[in-house]
Order: sequence, then structure tokens, then C-alpha cells
Amino acid sequence: MSGMAEMKPIQKMPLNQIDLMDDTFSVNYLPNLQSLRSSIKEIGLIQPVLLRKKSGGYQIVCGFRRVSAMKELGKSEIEVRVFEEKEMDAFQLFSLSLHENLTTRGFNAVEKAIALEKLIHRFQIHPDKVIKTFLPLFSLEPNEKILNTYLSLAQMEDEIKTYVLKEEVSRSNIRRLTGLTPEDRMAILSLISPLKLGENRLREALTLLEEISRRNQCTVREIVQRPEIQTILSQKELTPSQKTERVKKVLMDLRYPKMRQLEENFEKKRKDLNLPSNISLRHQPFFEGKGLKVEFQFETMEEYRSILLSLSQLVAKEEFREMIVLSKGQRT
Amino acid sequence: MFPFQIEKIYLDEKAEKDSVSKTILKALSDIPVETVQDKRGLIKQFFSMPDSIGVGKRHLLITHFYGRRLKPCPGTSNHICCGYYVINAITNCPMDCSYCVLQGYLNNPFLTLYTNWDDLLQEIDVFLSSDRQSFLRLGTGELSDSLALESIFPFSPFLIQFFAERHNGILELKTKSANVNHLLHLNHRGKTVVSWSLNPPKMIEEEETRTAPLKERIDAARGCQEKGYPLGFHFDPIIYHEGWERGYQETILQLFKQIDPKRVVWISLGGFRYPPKLKAIAEERFPKTRVFLGELFPGRDAKFRYLKEIRVEMYQKMAGWLKEINPDLFIYLCMESKEVWEKVFGWAPENSRHLNQMFEKRVRKFVK
Repeated sequence: MSGMAEMKPIQKMPLNQIDLMDDTFSVNYLPNLQSLRSSIKEIGLIQPVLLRKKSGGYQIVCGFRRVSAMKELGKSEIEVRVFEEKEMDAFQLFSLSLHENLTTRGFNAVEKAIALEKLIHRFQIHPDKVIKTFLPLFSLEPNEKILNTYLSLAQMEDEIKTYVLKEEVSRSNIRRLTGLTPEDRMAILSLISPLKLGENRLREALTLLEEISRRNQCTVREIVQRPEIQTILSQKELTPSQKTERVKKVLMDLRYPKMRQLEENFEKKRKDLNLPSNISLRHQPFFEGKGLKVEFQFETMEEYRSILLSLSQLVAKEEFREMIVLSKGQRT
Repeated sequence: MFPFQIEKIYLDEKAEKDSVSKTILKALSDIPVETVQDKRGLIKQFFSMPDSIGVGKRHLLITHFYGRRLKPCPGTSNHICCGYYVINAITNCPMDCSYCVLQGYLNNPFLTLYTNWDDLLQEIDVFLSSDRQSFLRLGTGELSDSLALESIFPFSPFLIQFFAERHNGILELKTKSANVNHLLHLNHRGKTVVSWSLNPPKMIEEEETRTAPLKERIDAARGCQEKGYPLGFHFDPIIYHEGWERGYQETILQLFKQIDPKRVVWISLGGFRYPPKLKAIAEERFPKTRVFLGELFPGRDAKFRYLKEIRVEMYQKMAGWLKEINPDLFIYLCMESKEVWEKVFGWAPENSRHLNQMFEKRVRKFVK
């Protein structure tokens, strides 16, 4: 705690004198009060909260979580130190509050976003100063891109912020969400929430959605609401990872339609050949390069003979000839 | 005037006394200059800036180059390449094309001019002397635009005159600019090919920032043609987009309304392709770019290319439109597989060496 605050005498303050709605200095987002409540219950409040006098009561400078916990525990008063109304300006107090919170609990991503947003918009601190002074304070690299990412996050919908915190979404994926409209973000949320995507899968999904939207000149919401995607999401028997695979297939088909056609044609011909399951026939990755690959597996001489017979019969099949053409990336 | 802005010049103290440095500083007399001792520290400092690539294009570094400045074009593995040699006269480019591979390639963000010219000319001289039987093609347009910085330091006239006196080498100046007036009076003796990268006007407007419009490029080419320069054209990168056929066909028609196909020594076709790390860099710098929205997949050399079916379609149509203009045009594919050559032309060079021999034969027809 700052020296100035420490010099203030500790006093008891009735909770009803404190304006809990005044969030001037608050950056709290989804605070976890459980452990704090238990601690207060066990050993009481260790650190007094900091207040500032204002007309008709007091505003909280530091200690929003402690005040909330005390209130939830049914306490009627709390130990405080008090700044007079004009003793320090609002920015100084906000800065003091940030420092104190950093030494005690740290901030989650959304709280950092709220703090940076308040510094710029409420306390009118120049962005250059915020970048140089406050980003390192939050253990962030001091550059404009990072600042803009957090400022965008501060503006996002509560549901998105909650998802960002819960799934520990990376900054690069937050940036991908930034470029979308609120409607598109909410549509994406309805898609990604049930899938429980990791970082890479989320990046893949966001990139595909954004690129399909730009290619096909449609909104992300329209893509998410496509029946084939909604059907997958509604299938209760599927695990999140099965849903993810299927949704990805739909998105890849939308993003790469010509490739999908080639793959479908190849697959259809492969099925028409009715090969036994121990023989596989594959094209080169992305149909780049020439040739087909045949793989087979056997355990006995009889199986081996049977495979050779199947393979030799391929020569007479029109579908096989067509597959050779397809494998070169040409249509039949 | 310059079509681009230079905010500051960094002058390496080792280049301070060079006459080339003095010429540059005179041309840019109103721009602040800082002499630097630690070039590496400066480069490191700039790379840590946001959009270091964009910032680097506005800052000029004048320095020496100590390594080899003449190298075989890196080409790409498992593909047929043409045996071209790259001259590193300038590094980086003031133009700013969204698809430019230099964004992820250079280890120095500055527009960099090297002042030790004598070393470069000597290196080229030794190189050409070492193989008098071949006819070698060399160019300055790989690590920069060959003509974009001529208003600061007109280095191409030196090279044109240098090559005019050589018997087994031809220089290519590759550009997206129209800065040719200072070349028109030179005695090039047919040893310099001036070439333009071309794209339809829509692509130029959307993806090629600070380059000359198509009409100006073609007018400049006509000016060079009238002065006897052999010409080259590069439809590279060809960008597959809605209406691409119309865009490229009209570009070809517009080009040959003014250009005599008999004066065109070579035309290259190359579909848009990129190394994996370019996409993230380019999309960050050009959020509206659409070049990455095509169906592009990694090939055997790890570069992303359009699906083969798309490339073949683009090349076949482009080659068809060009051959309609003149069936004798020398058209080649840049960094493509033998298989794609076969599909497009019905034949393929046996290997890169074979393609190089074809180039030699072609070039000899144009050289006086």
C-alpha cells in the first residue's frame, strides 16, 4: 500500500455509508469471492479497504471484493482508511488502486482490459503513456497492437468476455474476435461453446469462418446457422470432439469447394471399386504430384493371394482408370 | 518527386565518404540524416517496432554490402527453374504489395542502398568472365523493384552501360513503376531487358500499393520499345479472383495494343504462391487483402499454391490468349512442376538446365 494511504488512520465504517454502485476505481470482472469469504470468516479482515469521501458517502478506491465479501457475510461495518474528497485526483487514486491490486492478487485478462480502457477513456491518459507505463505493469509487451487488443476486449459482450476468461483464449484469438460484429461474435459463441475447443482448434475455426464469410460475402452468423452445422450441434449422442471434427469438415468444404469436389469424386470412385478393407488407395496430398498409393495388409498367404487377385482385377475397371486421372488433379 | 515518403536517412559511417552516398544525400537534401556506427543494433531496434516492415519502407539505410551480391535465383525445390541470377543492388522496396514475399524474407527492414558499387561491378565482371560460353541472365528486380529508387540514386544507367559492353550477359530490370525516362537515351546495345510485372487494374488498385497504374506501365514499356530495348512481361503473381479471366484477358489486349510482340523477349506466368509464414504477416499489414482467400495448399517445397486444377486452368487460358496475339511469344512458367508444364503446353523442359538452354537460344535472337 502506498505511503500516503498507510499514514491514514484506520477507522470503522458502516457498510451502508459506502456507495457500492460507484465503480470509478473498479476493474473487477467475475471476482471469485469464495476463498476471500472463507479467509475473512476464519481470521477476519487483514487489510483495511481504501475509501474516498464524496458527497453523501464514500466511494471505494481499493477493496471492492473485500467490501462485497463482508456484506455477503452479513457484516455491518468494515475497517477502512479514508482519503478526503480533493486530497488526490482520481487518476492518482486509480493508479494506487491498480498497484495495490497487483501486489495482492493480480488481474485476469478482462480486468486488464477494463483497467486500460478506463485509463484512456475515463482518466484521459495518453495512449503512449499507457503503452509505456501500464502495459509493462500488467506484464504485457509495450506496443500499440497489444493495447488495441485489450481495448477491443473491453468493448466485447459479457458472454464473450466470460468465454475468454473461462477458456483462457489467447491474444491472437481475441484479435480474431475483434474484427467481427457483435452478432457474428455471439453466433460464433453458440458454435464454439459446446465444442470445447483448444487454442489451435479455436484459431482454425475462427480463421475458417472469417475466410468463408469474406469469400462467399455472407455473415459469420449465416454460416453458423446453416442446417448442416446446426444438425451436428444438436446431436446429443456426439462427443464435443466428434462434433468438432464434423463441423470442421463442413467448414473446410465451404472454404475449399474445388478441393471438396475432387475429394468427393475420388472417394466415390474408390467406393465403387469395392476394395476389401485391407487394401487402401490414396492420392497425393492436395492432389499435388502424380500417382496413387496402394497399401495393403495381410497375415496369411491366403490373404496375400486374395489381395493380389483384387489388385489385378483393378486393371479392368473403368473407375480405377478414372481414379488415376483424378489423382493428377484432373476431372474425369 | 518520389511516389513514396522517406522520413529519415541512416548513414553507416563506413559509407560516409563514398561518392554514391554524397549523390544520395544531395538528392534527399531536405531529409534528416543520422550517422550510425552500429548498423546491427539499429536493425534490431527497428524490428522491435510495430509494423517494422511498413516503417522500414520509410527509412533509408545507406551502407556497404560485404558478402556475395550475385547469387543464383533461389527458385524452389522439386520444380523447374530458369537459371536466373539475382543482383543485390538494393534491398527492399518502397512499393507495398500485399502479396510481396519480401515481407517475410528480409533480415533488415530498411530500404537499403549499398554504396560499394565498384565491388558489385567487379563481382559481376568476374562472374561473366568465368563462363564465356553461356549467355547469362541477371536481374536486380528480386530483392527490390529495379527502378523504384532511381530518383534517389539512378543506379540502373550504370548497369545498362556496363552490360552493353559485355558479350555473354543480359541484364533484366524488372519493375512495377514507370520510371524509364532516364534510360531512354542510353546506348544499351540490346543487352538490357526492361520488364514489367502486370496485373489487371483492379488487382493493382487493391493489392499493389504505391505502384504505377497499368496504363503508365504500358506507356513506359512502349517508350522503351521505341528506344530498342528488348521487353519482358511477368504475369506473376496471377491472382485467381472473381472475374479474373476478363481482367487478365483485357490486360493482355491493352498491352499488345501498344507493344509489338516481336520485341518481347520473354513472358512469365506464375500463379500466386507463398511461403507459410507470409500469410500472417501480410494479413496483419493488409487486413483487406483477398489474395489468401483462394484455394491454396502446401506443395512439395512447402510453399502454398493454388490447387493444381486452378493453376493449370489459369496458365492454359493465359497462354492461349497470349498465343492468339502472337504464336511465337516465348512463354514460360515460374517455379512450376514438369507435370504442370506438360498439361499447359503439351510438353515440358526436361529439367531446369534445359529451360535455361531455351532461354539462351531465345536471348541470342534479341542481342545485337
